[in-house]
Amino acid sequence: MKKMSFLLLIASLILLSACSSNTEKAATTTDSGKKEITVWAWDPNFNIAALKLAKDRYVAKHPDVNVNIVEYAQNDIVQKMNAGLNSGSTKGLPNVVLIEDYRAQNFLQAYPDSFHDMSSSIKASDFADYKIGPTSYNGKQYGVPFDSGVMGLYVRTDYLEQAGYKVADLTNIDWDKFIEIGKAVKQKTGKEMLTQDPNDLGLIRGMIQSAGSWYLKEDGKTPNLAGNAALKEALLTYKSLFDANIVKMNADWSQFLAAFNSGAVASVPTGNWITPSIKAEASQSGKWAVVPFPKLKNVPESVNASSLGGSSWYVLNSDGQDTAADFLKETFGSDQELYQDMLSKIGIVGSLNAASSGKAYDVADPYFGGDKVYKKFAEWTKQVPKVNYGLHTYAIEDIMTVEIQNYLNGKDVDAVLKDAQGQAEAQLK
Amino acid sequence: MKTAAPKMTTTRLKAGMTGWLFISIAVIMIAAFYFYPMIQALILSFKTGTGSNLTFNGIDNYKRLFTDSMFITAVKNTFIYLIFQVPLMVILALFISVLLNDKNLKFKGFFRTAIFLPCITSLVAYSVVFKYLFSADGLVNSLLLNLHVIGTPIQWITDPFWAKVTIIIAITWRWTGYNMIFYLSGLQNIDSSIYEAARIDGASPIRQFFSITVPLLKPIILFTSITSTIGTLQLFDEIMNITKGGPGNATSSISQYIYNLSFKYSSDFGYAATVSYSIVIMIIILSIIQFKVAGEKK
Repeated sequence: MKKMSFLLLIASLILLSACSSNTEKAATTTDSGKKEITVWAWDPNFNIAALKLAKDRYVAKHPDVNVNIVEYAQNDIVQKMNAGLNSGSTKGLPNVVLIEDYRAQNFLQAYPDSFHDMSSSIKASDFADYKIGPTSYNGKQYGVPFDSGVMGLYVRTDYLEQAGYKVADLTNIDWDKFIEIGKAVKQKTGKEMLTQDPNDLGLIRGMIQSAGSWYLKEDGKTPNLAGNAALKEALLTYKSLFDANIVKMNADWSQFLAAFNSGAVASVPTGNWITPSIKAEASQSGKWAVVPFPKLKNVPESVNASSLGGSSWYVLNSDGQDTAADFLKETFGSDQELYQDMLSKIGIVGSLNAASSGKAYDVADPYFGGDKVYKKFAEWTKQVPKVNYGLHTYAIEDIMTVEIQNYLNGKDVDAVLKDAQGQAEAQLK
Repeated sequence: MKTAAPKMTTTRLKAGMTGWLFISIAVIMIAAFYFYPMIQALILSFKTGTGSNLTFNGIDNYKRLFTDSMFITAVKNTFIYLIFQVPLMVILALFISVLLNDKNLKFKGFFRTAIFLPCITSLVAYSVVFKYLFSADGLVNSLLLNLHVIGTPIQWITDPFWAKVTIIIAITWRWTGYNMIFYLSGLQNIDSSIYEAARIDGASPIRQFFSITVPLLKPIILFTSITSTIGTLQLFDEIMNITKGGPGNATSSISQYIYNLSFKYSSDFGYAATVSYSIVIMIIILSIIQFKVAGEKK
């Protein structure tokens, strides 16, 4: 009997250890001798579509490489990356991953040895200046800057005409003028000027970056809320939008899309990644125009350009990193023709400087009334002020959303910023 | 007798070994997949840092809980759900189960299934449906507007007060049927002769309910209250999918805060583990109170 139980114990231990020591096949080579790399990204209309173009061009030159593209929601990628990297194993993680610029420093600093140094594969100075801050750490360039996130103000020309305005009246304006026009549009057409989700402070982020300011100081760690002139002006502007009664509320992404696809709002101030979604509503072709993002009136540093939620590519330190680095180097890192392709086929404005001109940029888009909107975006990309997003964008944003609710309900703006500063200091140790 | 004694011990030992043999695999599995992670999480709760750069910082994380306004808001919200939703659901489930236990009721099976179905639907699917039902131009608002109950649409999801109401309605919808099943099975175990005797003595149906049904269902009421309390303290999916904790932090729950600390903010896994253990402590305390108040005296 003793023997039996001992045997069973051993057997169960073997069973247990078999679960853990199951060695997965390395991601580098498949049975046929082909090298294989896996790439994770979100947004099928934008990032995944760009990846497919890049893959086709790369595989044509390197038939021995297989590029495996996997689509996940951005939140899922963040979760899987955190769980995987935290466990200290890169098994089950991709070779190349797309990370939002707001979160990049968080990953680079939390898992310092997990990312492949790309300094020798790409030249940082080849890309838009404001993208370098988030994608580099300790003097090394880790990310390959991709989606510029450059902002524009998408406007409905037909609604504006009904209210007596032309596109020129909205070009290079400040937010006060925007509100003034918004009121007129609301009065004449009954349509709201824009739509906002109270949980998403993207508009405020766009406003403060247009003035070269952020929630955190230059070090990326110290909260910079109380006494931040640009942030205060952004809050005042945000409240004016609500007080003017020109904001249609939405509660999530699909309601946000529905707000402009259904024709309920007259403008969308956001990142250029929204272009495919705007154009998704074919019946509104010719009714849209794009003008520069408005600036803050009382902040002298503010310019008519900003960025919202851009993202970049990263290579993980694991088997196959050299192939992965080479893939990025030859595609998003340097291939100007690829950028032309991405622009003409998908409408993506990248952040590679050398790719910001060319035939594709000169094409007039009938959806936007025959305007060369991509040339405009490329131009604005060069003007976006550089800021350090640091480590805590979303943590601070959660503190700010609460305080902004209080502010909209009548709390004094200076008290709002002071309280937010206090909370942020207590929390971000 | 003297010779029998050692034999007895061997037999007992053998029996003991066989017993251990049968449960050994389960014990090893439980130790590996339940106790090991629990202990790891406890150790993690004494560490601080981002991602894998963790250092021990003693009980600082536990001190931080008491000064963390976001955590306090999450705890307050969770207790608001608890105070309103658990009694509401328990009473509603009890009420419905008594109605459905009526011998004269037709289509009993249909009603029971209809009320039980919500708790086996996918959490995400029902949350998404609720979000659309309760959106500013959703079905609920248009219904209320057409019935002239309200003049302007209620901001169910973007107003701090109504967002909480929406969450309470959603979880009540989903879990009432689950509790109802327990009450139904309890009711079927009550001997009908007790009710007959009560009727002969002239007790009204209401009197029967309060003097017979409720006291006899007491253990089940205790069970459902405790499981509902635990469920509410761990509330996550509805919040995440319907309101994302907003507007502001008006609907955030403790579990959602743990998610935010781990994945939305700067990967502070140590502090997230501390918040998780605070839920464990709260559940233990609340369960003890409920046992003391409603439990059988032994």
